[in-house]
Amino acid sequence: MRIIVCIKQVPGTNEVKIDPDTNTIIRENVPAIINPFDTYAIEEAVRIKERAGAEVYGLSMGIPAAAEMLKEAISLRIDKGILMTDRKFAGADTLATSYALSKGIEKIGEFDLIICGKQATDGDTAQVGPSLAGALGIAYATDISKIVEIKPDKMHCLKITDDGYEEIEIKLPALITVVKEINMPGLPSIKSMKAATNSKIEILTFEDINADENRLGLKGSPTQVRKTFVPVHEANNEMIEGTLDEKAGKLSEILLKLRTEVK
Amino acid sequence: MDNNTFIKMYGEYLRDESRQVGNAESIAFPKTEAEIISTVKEMSRKDIQITTQGARTGLAASAVPYKGHIINLSKMNKVTGARYDEEKDSFFLTVQPGVLLSELRKYISNKSFNANNWDEQSVNALKYMEKNQWFYSTDPTETSASMGGIASCNASGAKSYRYGSAREHITGLRVVLADGDVLNIKRGQYIADGDSKFHIATESGREIKGQLPKYKMPDVRKNTSGYYNMPGMDMIDLFIGSDGTLGIISEIEIELSKTQKVNWGVTIFMPDEDKAVDLVRALRQEITVDNINLELNPSAIEFFSHNALCMLRDQQKTNAAFSNIQEIKDIYHTAVYIEIESDSNDEVWTEIEKLGDVINGLGGNEDETWVAYNPANLEKLHYFRHACPECVNMQIDNIKKTDNRITKLGTDMSVPDNKLKDAMKMYNEGIEENNLTAVIFGHIGNNHLHVNIIPQNMSEYKKGKELFLIWAGKIAAMGGAVSAEHGVGKLKVPFLKKMYNEEELNEMRKLKKLFDPAQIFNRGTIFEFEEDVK
Repeated sequence: MRIIVCIKQVPGTNEVKIDPDTNTIIRENVPAIINPFDTYAIEEAVRIKERAGAEVYGLSMGIPAAAEMLKEAISLRIDKGILMTDRKFAGADTLATSYALSKGIEKIGEFDLIICGKQATDGDTAQVGPSLAGALGIAYATDISKIVEIKPDKMHCLKITDDGYEEIEIKLPALITVVKEINMPGLPSIKSMKAATNSKIEILTFEDINADENRLGLKGSPTQVRKTFVPVHEANNEMIEGTLDEKAGKLSEILLKLRTEVK
Repeated sequence: MDNNTFIKMYGEYLRDESRQVGNAESIAFPKTEAEIISTVKEMSRKDIQITTQGARTGLAASAVPYKGHIINLSKMNKVTGARYDEEKDSFFLTVQPGVLLSELRKYISNKSFNANNWDEQSVNALKYMEKNQWFYSTDPTETSASMGGIASCNASGAKSYRYGSAREHITGLRVVLADGDVLNIKRGQYIADGDSKFHIATESGREIKGQLPKYKMPDVRKNTSGYYNMPGMDMIDLFIGSDGTLGIISEIEIELSKTQKVNWGVTIFMPDEDKAVDLVRALRQEITVDNINLELNPSAIEFFSHNALCMLRDQQKTNAAFSNIQEIKDIYHTAVYIEIESDSNDEVWTEIEKLGDVINGLGGNEDETWVAYNPANLEKLHYFRHACPECVNMQIDNIKKTDNRITKLGTDMSVPDNKLKDAMKMYNEGIEENNLTAVIFGHIGNNHLHVNIIPQNMSEYKKGKELFLIWAGKIAAMGGAVSAEHGVGKLKVPFLKKMYNEEELNEMRKLKKLFDPAQIFNRGTIFEFEEDVK
């Protein structure tokens, strides 16, 4: 069985600061980390490997420095890291990213399961997983919180919903996205870190994949970000003074006025 | 105020974390040293005993009064000044005894102090603080401990393997004596001479002259059992770890350490206890494995016994609070945890690679390790470490529901390096022979393990207490210390008798009487009151 885990490098979540003038994320001096949701995807793939035997590949699209992140993923016990990096891939929205990843996966060849984190903590779109499945023409299920059983041709899992769980049986090859309830990611061991240090990350450029240039990067991205902003929460307190009767009177006036405004 | 009203209003001040309950007639919460002095003078005149309290987090009942007056220092909680030594590039803070460790840490990491009443030198010193990131290295688990308490019992913590105990970082003390006079001692100011004679001058100009005792302290890495005594010692060290028996500490100057850039943690699971101890010895560079010389210089070397891991594993299955600990596999037998601070990740990694080979060479498996090299993952390992005492406390709380006289039984003894295996054998045999439930964890790098007996009923509780006294005797015979970091307080007075004979204890009493002739301070702490012995 071969499992591909899609991994994204994101800015360290606790350290995100927004530039007050431009309303964009300040990326200078912010350490890059593995998207936290992807660590659950990595852990789940590794658990399947330990339980049923599998070969686990980590796939990422990003800047050359993301190779270090894939090495970190190897220290978390995946077998191989593959980085898609090329200027032509840059500036991609979720559609162009999914297309590029699908072409990378075609290059890799056969696979049984793709696992993605539920979403990335920088964009928060949760779109890449499902649209990657679409691009590959395979079945998918999102928000998986437990893999009950996995067989060569199908798997049985639980999907977390607002009201509870859905039991799902899905034919392989398939793609799932996982939520943090699925496992508790482990730390690397000295042995797995040694393996990571000695590993080589495979690089895929535009030349290596059979892709339509017009569907890649900025060119292939219909999404345009018009504006990003930090939501402003305004809370005003007003103290009502006076005797008990006066306070009650003023309060009812305010409530009545609010009701009219809502109407 | 009659006693019932007093107990109703101030009952909590009759106890500390040792869960012992004492008695007293009055209490004061001074805000300044001048207020301490006037209270001490008044009590001395009336011959009323005084018990000094900080945050009452001590485990040896030092702060539990027998009778008389309580001076509680919790309202003296200000950082009062700073000093920078340009030559040594060292930074110092002056703190009042009621400052809590947690507060101090916050001030230091934010580099933010209320400096309104500071002198010019202190305010100027602050700008040197900006040059580096600093920290206070004494790290007892209980961060709500007060700085006065930390100085009084010479507290330490996990990082003492590298940084030593509180003593090593205290550079000045102000101590109010029984007559209201004040000692203002700086480290290096008063050194005992070759004949072990010493003199200290008080602020009023009075000369206190004395002779150091003849008893020898145990040759261990950590010790706070009775008065510090060493030929040629700095006299400030007599007051550190004196459990409040010589005077009242009204101000402390501490030296900060520089924070290093990277901090790693590794939990190593070994296949048995013997191999875990061998790993500790390799980390301490006492032995080499396959000719590999480890130069990790850890700041902490901690231990978790097989039973401790079993307890955590059980809790993990049933208690949601512990579910965010990584799975403790059944093959994991005993664990050693180390923490490394350095300025370079590469340097640490080179040593960790060697550590992996040493683990394999000892019959362990470098794959059975948890490595953390960033703050988020290190937090996970800290959580795991703290889960152990947490679990013990939860179990004790449950047993307390059946009999509220039962308290936690935890040891605090240390031995010389070459006696570590003997001490562990003694603990394991004692627990097994008496059929008790116990978990062992703690500062194995300093040969200082906390054995925690979890008594299931009152008879086991009594058995455990008897066992502790037997162990104290054996530890003393091994050349160990009956208290390594909690202090002797009142609870371990019988233990100290196993370490020092009556003549030696009398030497301590003589020292006390030199500074506190009427023995009004913390009577019954470290040793019994002289008249009670006769």
